[in-house]
Amino acid sequence: MIVEGNYLLPGSPDAIWDLLMDPAVLAKAMPGTRTLERVEPDRYEGVMRVGIGPITAAEFALGIVLSDIQRPQRYAMQIDSKGRFGFTRGLARVELVPEANGTVMRYSADLQIGGKIAALGQRLLESVSKLLLRQGLEALNQELQTRLGGAPS
Amino acid sequence: MTSRYFGERVLRLEDTRLLTGRALFVDDVQLPGMLHVAFLRSDEAHARITSIDVTAARTRPGVIAVYTAADLGDYWRPGPLLVPPPPIQGLVFNTATQVPLAKDKVRHAGEPLAMVVAESRYVAEDALEDIQVDLEPLPAVTELEAALAEGAPLVHEQFGSNLAAQVRQTKGDYAAARATAHTIITRRFHYDRGASAAIENRAVAAQWDARAEELTIWDTTQAPIPIRNGLAPMLGLRESQVRVIAPFIGGGFGPKIMMYYPEEVLVPWAAMRLQRPVKWTEDRRENFYATTQERGQLHDAELAVAKDGTILGVRDRFLHDTGAYDPYGLTVPINSQCTLLGPYVVPNYESEFTAVFTTKPIVTPVRGAGRQHGVFVMERLLDFAARELGIDRVEIRRRNLIPRDAFPYDHEILFQDFRPLVYDSGDYQAALDKAVEVSGYARFVREEQPRLRREGKHIGLGVVSYIEGTGIGPYEGARVTIEPSGTVRLATGVGTQGQGHFTTFAQIVADVLGVTPDAVQVTTGDTREFSWGSGTFASRGAVVAGSACHAAALKVRDRILTVAAPLLGVPGDELEISGGQVRVRGATDRAIGLGELARKANPLRGAVTPGTEPGLEATAYFGPDRGNTANGVHAIFVEVDPETAAVTILRYVVVHDCGTVINPLVVEAQVQGGVAHGIGNSFYEQLSFDENGQLLNASFMDYLLPTALDVPTVEMAHLETPSPLNPLGTKGVGEAGAIPTAAAFAQAIEDALPDSGLEITEMPLSPCRLYELLVAARERRTDA
Repeated sequence: MIVEGNYLLPGSPDAIWDLLMDPAVLAKAMPGTRTLERVEPDRYEGVMRVGIGPITAAEFALGIVLSDIQRPQRYAMQIDSKGRFGFTRGLARVELVPEANGTVMRYSADLQIGGKIAALGQRLLESVSKLLLRQGLEALNQELQTRLGGAPS
Repeated sequence: MTSRYFGERVLRLEDTRLLTGRALFVDDVQLPGMLHVAFLRSDEAHARITSIDVTAARTRPGVIAVYTAADLGDYWRPGPLLVPPPPIQGLVFNTATQVPLAKDKVRHAGEPLAMVVAESRYVAEDALEDIQVDLEPLPAVTELEAALAEGAPLVHEQFGSNLAAQVRQTKGDYAAARATAHTIITRRFHYDRGASAAIENRAVAAQWDARAEELTIWDTTQAPIPIRNGLAPMLGLRESQVRVIAPFIGGGFGPKIMMYYPEEVLVPWAAMRLQRPVKWTEDRRENFYATTQERGQLHDAELAVAKDGTILGVRDRFLHDTGAYDPYGLTVPINSQCTLLGPYVVPNYESEFTAVFTTKPIVTPVRGAGRQHGVFVMERLLDFAARELGIDRVEIRRRNLIPRDAFPYDHEILFQDFRPLVYDSGDYQAALDKAVEVSGYARFVREEQPRLRREGKHIGLGVVSYIEGTGIGPYEGARVTIEPSGTVRLATGVGTQGQGHFTTFAQIVADVLGVTPDAVQVTTGDTREFSWGSGTFASRGAVVAGSACHAAALKVRDRILTVAAPLLGVPGDELEISGGQVRVRGATDRAIGLGELARKANPLRGAVTPGTEPGLEATAYFGPDRGNTANGVHAIFVEVDPETAAVTILRYVVVHDCGTVINPLVVEAQVQGGVAHGIGNSFYEQLSFDENGQLLNASFMDYLLPTALDVPTVEMAHLETPSPLNPLGTKGVGEAGAIPTAAAFAQAIEDALPDSGLEITEMPLSPCRLYELLVAARERRTDA
C-alpha cells in the first residue's frame, strides 16, 4: 500500500523537526498508539491498537528505526509492527520544505500488510489508513499550534 | 439383469439422516476427555524461520502440549508423493511435498508453524498468542512468468529454479500442419485461482485405545483407505490397528483426497502421544490457506484451421501454478493438456507445460481438476476462428466433432491414469444436436436475438462442447452380505461426500438381489468395514465402486441359488429372486425368504461337508482397463448490462452423456451442483493475492460464492452412450457441470455485446473486471 501526501504545518522546519522526534508527539501523530518510547537515539518501540473492519482492537508491537537523518530536511523511518492479527512493515520518508507561511511536510510510505488484517480488512485498509493519517496530521498540527503558541512562556 | 430400480428416480436414501441431523460428521465426534487443537500459521508468505518460542504458551492454564517442528523428532518428515508423474518421455519432475510443521522456512501464508493442544479450542486459540515467532521475510513468488525468470527468489533452493515440472506431449506434426493453414488463431489465456469452498471444512479426530491397541481416526477424507495405509507405518502401527472412518462429509471436490495434510498427520500422533482423544476442526479462515486450491494457469495457444474451419492442429504452451509444494504430481496440468482436445478431431497437437512453484497454498485437483482450462482454451480458440472465418459457432464445432463410428478414438497421448488417451465411446453429434434443439439455438439466433437487440436488450447465448475423462483405476471393491434379518449389507471403500452413494449403490445391488433399495444398508468410507480401495476422485465412484458393488451382488446371487436349490428341490436355473425371496419359477408357494436362507447358509454341526462356505456373502473388485470419457454440451443465455457489466443468467441448458444413468435424480443434482460451481469459477470466485503473497479476500465477506439467486435451475437432457469398459455402462458425472461453464459464459457475454470488441481470454471474471475489459475494448475501438 502506497501512502503519500503533503501537509502544511505552522512553524519552521527546525521547530517541527524537534516535535517529530519527540515520542510523545509521534505517538499522537499515529492514532492508536498506546505507548511509544525512544529506546535508542534513532529507535522507538511501542504498542499500537487499531480497528479495521471486522478486526476490532488489534494490538501490534511497534518498532520504528530512523535513518537517512538530515536535520531539518528529511529522514526515513523503517516501520515494523506485528501482532496476532498480522503485520505492517515498510519504509516511510518525511521531508520538510520551508514555505512562506510555514513548512510543508511531504510524506510517502510503501507499506506491506500481511496476515489477518490483509485477509479480512483489505477492502477497508485504504479508507482506514487515510482516516488515521488525517487524524494523525490534525493531531500533529494541533500539538504544533499548542507548543509553538506556548513557546514564549 | 432384471431392471426395476437401476435407472429410476429413486429418492435419496441418505437424505432422511442428513435432513434430520442424524448424520455423523467429524465435528460431531465428542469423546470423554477430548482435547482440542489450534495451529499457529505463518502470516508471511515466504520467510526464513529465525526462532519460535513456545515457552509462554506451554504455561497457559488448560494447555496440554505445544509442538513445533523441533518437537516432532523423527515424526517430522515431508509427506508422500501421492501421484508420481506418468511415464512420459523427457518428463522433468522436481518433488517437493509438504511438511507437517514448517522447520527452516515458510513457503506460503498459512503454513503451520506450531500446534497447540488444549482442554478447549478457546484456550488453544488464546495460547497461539503466547507464541513468539521471529520470521525473516523473503521476497514472495507470485507471478508465474516472473517465477521462472533469472534471479527470481527460490521457493525450494535445492532445485536452483522454481520449475516444478516440464512435460511435452505431441501428436502428428504441428509445424507442418501450421504451414498449410488458412488461418492461425493465437491468443494468451489466463485462468486464476479459486477455493473449493466445501460447505464443511476439514476436520480430524483421533482416539487411541491403549487396551485394544487400536487407533480410530475420523477424517473428512475422500480416501480413507490410503490414509490408513499411509498413517499406520508412520505411527509405527500395523494397518489392522488403525481404523479410519470418513463419515458423512459436506462436500469434497478434490482437496479432501488423501493429502496427508499436516493436521491429518499430527492429530492422530498427538492422540497417541497424549493418550487422550484429540480433535481439530478447520475454521473458514484457515480453509483459505490450509486446504488445497486450484486453477492458476497461463496459456499461449494457437489453433491452425483450414478455410472451412477444419482443425489442422493446436499448439499450446502453458504455465501451471502448483503452489508451494507439488505432492499431487501432475494430475491437474495433464488433465488440462488432455482435455483441451475435447470432442474434436485434432490431427496435430503440440503441448508443453511447465509447472511452477510459487509462495501460495498448494494446488491439487478441485472439481474439474485442470479440465476446464483445456476446455476454455479450445472453445475460445474455436470461437475466435469461427468469427474470423465467418462460420457459425455451432457449425465450426460440428465440422470438427469425432464421428460416432470412430470409437474407440485414440488421441495418441498419455492421460493422467498413465493410460493412452483413448475415448471409449460417445455420440458427440447427437449431444450437440440435442443442445441446439433444447436451447432453440437456430430460432434464437435468427429471430429472437435480433428482435431483443432492437428492443435494446443485450442477450447472448454461449454453446460449448466438452469431454470429461472419468472413472479411472486403479480399482475399488465391495462386499455384499445378506443378514438373517433379510437386510442386505453393502460395504465399499470409497468415501462419500454427498454424491448419493447410499442410493445409487443400493439400486445396483437391489436389482441383482431382488430386493428394494431401502433394504440395502450401505456403508462407505470405514476401513474396518472394507479394507481395500483407493478413494473418491476423478468422477469414478459410480463407475469403479458401482461396478464392484454389481460384481459382489452377482456373486451373492450365485450363492443364493446354490444354497436354495437343494432346499427347494430344483436346479438353480429354475429359481428366481424377487421380493426378498428366492422361489421356484412359476410356483409362488415354493419360496424361501433371503433372511431365512442366510440363516440356513450358516450350517449347524453335522450339516457341513468339506469345502462348505458359510453365509450369503461375497466380495468383488473392479478395476477398469482405463478411464472412460463422458461428454456434453452446455448452452447458457445471459443478459449483460453494457453500462455496469452486470450479468444475469437467464437460462442454462445441459445436454450430457455419462453413459448408462443409474439414477437421473442423482445425476441431475451432480450437474446442477457442478454448474453452480462453474458459475462461481466464472464470475464470482477468485482468490486475490497481492505481490507479497498475501491473500486479500480470505473470508466469505470478500470471496464471493454464487447464491441460489445467481444460479438458475439447469434444464437437462440425458443421452446414454454406454461405456464398454464396465458391465454397467456408466461413466462419471461428478465434475461435468463445472468443466465447460467458463467457456460458455465467455462466449455468451461476447455474443450479448457483439459490437463492443470485447474478447474474453481470462477467467474468472467479476462485474468489475468485465467492466474494465469492456472499457478497454471500447478504447481500442476508438483508437483504431
